[in-house]
Amino acid sequence: MDVQEAVSQSTPIGAADEHGEAKRDGLRKFTMGPNDSLEGKLSYDGHVNVDGRAEGEFRVTGNIDVAPGAKVKAYLEASNVTIRGEVEGALNARDKLILGKNAKLSGDIHVRRLQIEDGASLNGHVRMGDVEQQGSGG
Amino acid sequence: MATSAWATLSSRAPGARVPRSTADQPPPAADPAGVRNALVLGPRDRLIGELHIDGDVRLGGTVEGQIVATGDVEIDDEAKVNASLAGRDVNIRGHVSGSVTARKRLVVAKSGSLTGDVRVARLVIQDGATFSGNVSMGPAPERVAKPPEPEPIAAGDGEKRSTDGQATPPEAKGTLPEANVAPPQVKVTPPELKSRPPEVKGKPAEGKGKQPEGKGSKPKR
Repeated sequence: MDVQEAVSQSTPIGAADEHGEAKRDGLRKFTMGPNDSLEGKLSYDGHVNVDGRAEGEFRVTGNIDVAPGAKVKAYLEASNVTIRGEVEGALNARDKLILGKNAKLSGDIHVRRLQIEDGASLNGHVRMGDVEQQGSGG
Repeated sequence: MATSAWATLSSRAPGARVPRSTADQPPPAADPAGVRNALVLGPRDRLIGELHIDGDVRLGGTVEGQIVATGDVEIDDEAKVNASLAGRDVNIRGHVSGSVTARKRLVVAKSGSLTGDVRVARLVIQDGATFSGNVSMGPAPERVAKPPEPEPIAAGDGEKRSTDGQATPPEAKGTLPEANVAPPQVKVTPPELKSRPPEVKGKPAEGKGKQPEGKGSKPKR
């Protein structure tokens, strides 16, 4: 409940140097290590790799990867989402969502394609179809 | 019962493994090593109604109603199933519209499509499959709701204190019976997710003019 309006001044795009940032297929990549944590809202033009703890709201033009062991309590929006850790919150994948075999996801999801591996756990409502861009025009 | 009729009906299917066994051991689901009862419906077969079967089901045609199997349920590529399904392993390669309960595992293959609520222990969805509905997973298919523990209201203390002090009302105030407080959920639902389409589940076909429950006796479970 205290997550919602948490951080807005921490503009992570400029301050991402302390975390890892690398390029992949032309898009930037922002990696959170196992000891990193992030609370708040993040809009990012690139890929995000979460290997720590994250809470809030993440809107990403690229992909979101949640590593095994990571804990995410957030609304996620990205092209491709791959989950191998624990995620709690709604999720919007413009292209594809993959739940790895140790993934845990609870929340309503809206995806275009869905792949769930044996062993994954999912609780929530699933809707498939084209995910239209909402609100974030510019 | 209807089950045996279906079983004989299915014997013309080439891959059917109908047990013509020693007839001394009728409980088919009890022994895992033995041959179980199996119903196979081909692509031109059709079932409308309710089927409870002690064994496996493999559906390739049109099915409407409800299927409850103690064994596995398999939906072939060609199948059009408008029914709720329950079984141990449920494997969907065709088109299914209805709720699904899998005591062990549900697999929606890449050619499969499923619309309906799902209650399973394990879930596999292959890339290319279509699925819409609610998913609830857990180790046990039936979740037992815990009754909230009633807090004992200290009425005796309040009475005692009223004799000591000045006119304290005997109602123990300040102890609100908050039995179950919902855990705070971080739910940042986007506005478009709120409008869910109304779901028609487990409803037999309308417009056919006849009701499947009307004929024969309903099997009790």
